[in-house]
Amino acid sequence: MAAERTNVSNDLIWQIVRNQNAYLVRRNTGGGSQFSRDPLNLVNKHSFKYAGFVNNKAIGVQAAENGGVNVITKKPGNPQQPRQTEVTVNYGPKTSTRKIYKGVAAKTAVNGYRADIREEAVARVSAVRRSQKPKKDTPARQPRSVKARRAAEKDE
Amino acid sequence: MATRPTVSIATAEGKPSGATQTLPSVFSAPIRPDIVQQVHTGMAKNKRQPYAVSEKAGEQTSAESWGTGRAVARIPRVSGGGTHRAGQAAFGNMCRSGRMFAPTKVWRKWHQKINLNQKRFATASALAASSVPALLFARGHRVGKVAEVPLVVESKTFAGAALTKTKAAIALLQALGAGEELVKVSKSRKLRAGKGKLRNRRFRQRRGPLVVYNPETDGKELVRAFRNIPGVETSSVFSLNLLQLAPGGHLGRFLVWTSSAFEALDQVYGTTTTPSALKKDYLLPANLVSNSDITRLINSSEIQAVVKAPKGEARTKRVNVQKKNPLRNKQVMLRLNPYASAYSKQKLGQQSVEGGKPARAGETFLNTLSEE
Repeated sequence: MAAERTNVSNDLIWQIVRNQNAYLVRRNTGGGSQFSRDPLNLVNKHSFKYAGFVNNKAIGVQAAENGGVNVITKKPGNPQQPRQTEVTVNYGPKTSTRKIYKGVAAKTAVNGYRADIREEAVARVSAVRRSQKPKKDTPARQPRSVKARRAAEKDE
Repeated sequence: MATRPTVSIATAEGKPSGATQTLPSVFSAPIRPDIVQQVHTGMAKNKRQPYAVSEKAGEQTSAESWGTGRAVARIPRVSGGGTHRAGQAAFGNMCRSGRMFAPTKVWRKWHQKINLNQKRFATASALAASSVPALLFARGHRVGKVAEVPLVVESKTFAGAALTKTKAAIALLQALGAGEELVKVSKSRKLRAGKGKLRNRRFRQRRGPLVVYNPETDGKELVRAFRNIPGVETSSVFSLNLLQLAPGGHLGRFLVWTSSAFEALDQVYGTTTTPSALKKDYLLPANLVSNSDITRLINSSEIQAVVKAPKGEARTKRVNVQKKNPLRNKQVMLRLNPYASAYSKQKLGQQSVEGGKPARAGETFLNTLSEE
């Protein structure tokens, strides 16, 4: 379907879905915060700028199952073909984080794709990488005061 | 009229068959959630059955007021004796076992009249919305693996009772990329909260794809094939229902078209200029704006040529900024005290006092001091 649809646009879609959509998470606590579960949303915030399913051009960063990072982008050419729209690039667990930053930054800012969300995309890669680090055990607690003294006496 | 977009037709295996169809005009109808919601709320009311409390409920005693002078309220009281009920208040909505306030009546206005043109507008709008993948995602349909929206399948797949088995119907939907959707629906089945469980509405589940067919060429056998798949519904293209096209008043139902049903759409709805063949005197609603892309409009050379240049500079002067400590911030210090630079350059602050330290007081002085 090459020709343009004149009755549909990203702006119109956003007006239709902004009050209610499947990704929207609304809570009364926290001052009526609104979040989004959209995988193409970089900051999980419910807003037109970050709503990946609404915009023709969007980028998503998700943790991959192999311990790496999946970067999903949308091809703006033909929004009517969902199967061909999404392109996923997998960065393996061994890829250096800076290399992923570079790849993501290039994808967003070069060629006028979505320069406005470059920073968020890189920040999300960083956050995903940080979450993938193995968790350190908390060190055993040192005895203090009376217990420390008793332990020291026992050692002698 | 500008060239209309085309839609490719998929085979039963989910591959493009090579054949295409131009997009029927109904898909260019204006998408108006307000109209759809209003018509939906009206239509949803039209299946209701009347209910009411019994006419006699709470009115079945011979209670009468005791009047004044008995130091009790003048509400009617049950007459007689020998039982606890005697002397208790009755009838009023505030009384135990009294009648309810404004007892419900079977002659409540259960149904809503909706203007026919509005209903048709809403249906056309819902159909147009069903061809926008973003709106399908917003409704929660899992259509990420679907090749194209609107999804059209060759009528050959159904014609002459070719598809009668549910197993084949499931295989067809999976081949078309709707497998995830079927899984989502069957996993969503939950026990309903409340009394509805006892009233033949035991479970609630998501809505899956709606298969739209043309009974004249596709036959009706496919209805039986699809009807036992959870969430999947079927509808004839000649009797599309808004309650199925926009469940809950939310636009963007996932539709699976047979090619003959898709072809019939232009006949059913006509265009904005040629009347529908099946609906009397019906023209599709036209869009008020020829381009709904606001960003494109704002950035167009026509608009940009006439808008004024923005006022002010690119950099705005900040006024109410945080106060900086001049003792720590050198730049702020220099602004306040231009001499500070020379003072620090000449190291005046570090210079020793001229003439050195004063001499210690002599012995005589100390002696004089302690003499007392």
